[in-house]
Amino acid sequence: MSLNASHPLDTVPGTEPDVLDGLLGIQPGSTLHTVRHARDKVASATQGSQDLFFAPELPGNLSLTERLWVAYYAAHLTPHPRLAAHYLAQLHAQGVDALSVASVDSGSLDELSDPRLRGILEFTRTLIESPVHGDQAAVQALHNVGLGTEEIVVLAQLVAFMSYQVRLAAGLGALLSAGEA
Amino acid sequence: MSEPIRDNGFTNEVLGWKAWLPTVDLNSATPEQIAVLEESHPQAKTSDYYLTLAHHPDILRQRSQAFNAIMYAPGGLSRAERELASTVVSCVNRCVYCASVHAQRFEQLAKRNDVIREVFADPATAGTNAREKAIVRFAIDLTLAPASIDASHIKALREQGLDDGQVLDLIHAISIFAWANRLMLNLGEPVFPAD
Repeated sequence: MSLNASHPLDTVPGTEPDVLDGLLGIQPGSTLHTVRHARDKVASATQGSQDLFFAPELPGNLSLTERLWVAYYAAHLTPHPRLAAHYLAQLHAQGVDALSVASVDSGSLDELSDPRLRGILEFTRTLIESPVHGDQAAVQALHNVGLGTEEIVVLAQLVAFMSYQVRLAAGLGALLSAGEA
Repeated sequence: MSEPIRDNGFTNEVLGWKAWLPTVDLNSATPEQIAVLEESHPQAKTSDYYLTLAHHPDILRQRSQAFNAIMYAPGGLSRAERELASTVVSCVNRCVYCASVHAQRFEQLAKRNDVIREVFADPATAGTNAREKAIVRFAIDLTLAPASIDASHIKALREQGLDDGQVLDLIHAISIFAWANRLMLNLGEPVFPAD
């Protein structure tokens, strides 16, 4: 894996620059920034989750590339173009190939050569599009492509977090475009 | 609680929840897992849900901090209105367990359950007044069509008297149940009391 100066291994949750403020252009000193950070425990736990889910290493668990695939696909399906572009840029930095991106973009997951990644992204699609269909058989399908219990828990948390993040980003974006009351 | 409400598979009765995956065994849990359970919820150490999520304690800690800050922080949108939004999202996502818990919380806070009866029957028409209808409508739209949310949705809430801090609280309450419903739906299932 590559060490990246902006993502040190000893990342402390909540200390990284705020991803949503940065992506949406919520400027420090603006009215919306003040409103958002009046609920600073929420903002810091949101960013703290971000930092954990996309830490360079999650020992014994999903690789960073797998986690970025999940995040990208979730944002792509929603769709939230700005978040999708954010995660796609990080996937490119991991060296993913254009063919795989094209397969995922078109929903042709059966074209992916890695059955483990295919299973992970099929689970992601189910949970994003129709969470009630993410049943015990869906969990068993993850076991069948080799995921262990801890990996399944992290995957379920990550897809659920993405479901939260895209809605929070959509809501903040709408507040931004509505301007001051 | 007054008489139970049962409609469309939803209920405001107390339900259990069982995990599909092996849960963390308290006897072999790490000190960090125990600490995160204790700070997450008063009953977390006997809850399949928290004992499943405790497989990754750092992620559970951030989730619990976000959840508790969103649902319990003082000021802003009333806690009853946050619980109403959570119940609507849970019904739209068909999370029977979460719908039950948050229907009960709404009733405890608001001392009424008329709007819960309406939400269980049909979220699209629920709301006992214009402000409730606007909150319910926004909860449905942000849940089902996040890409469609724009300034007109914010204006509709402002017209019902919500300030932007309250709108943000509402966005948080809806969004955190996109998260919570999925964990409850995708890692286990509700357990119904024996009739």
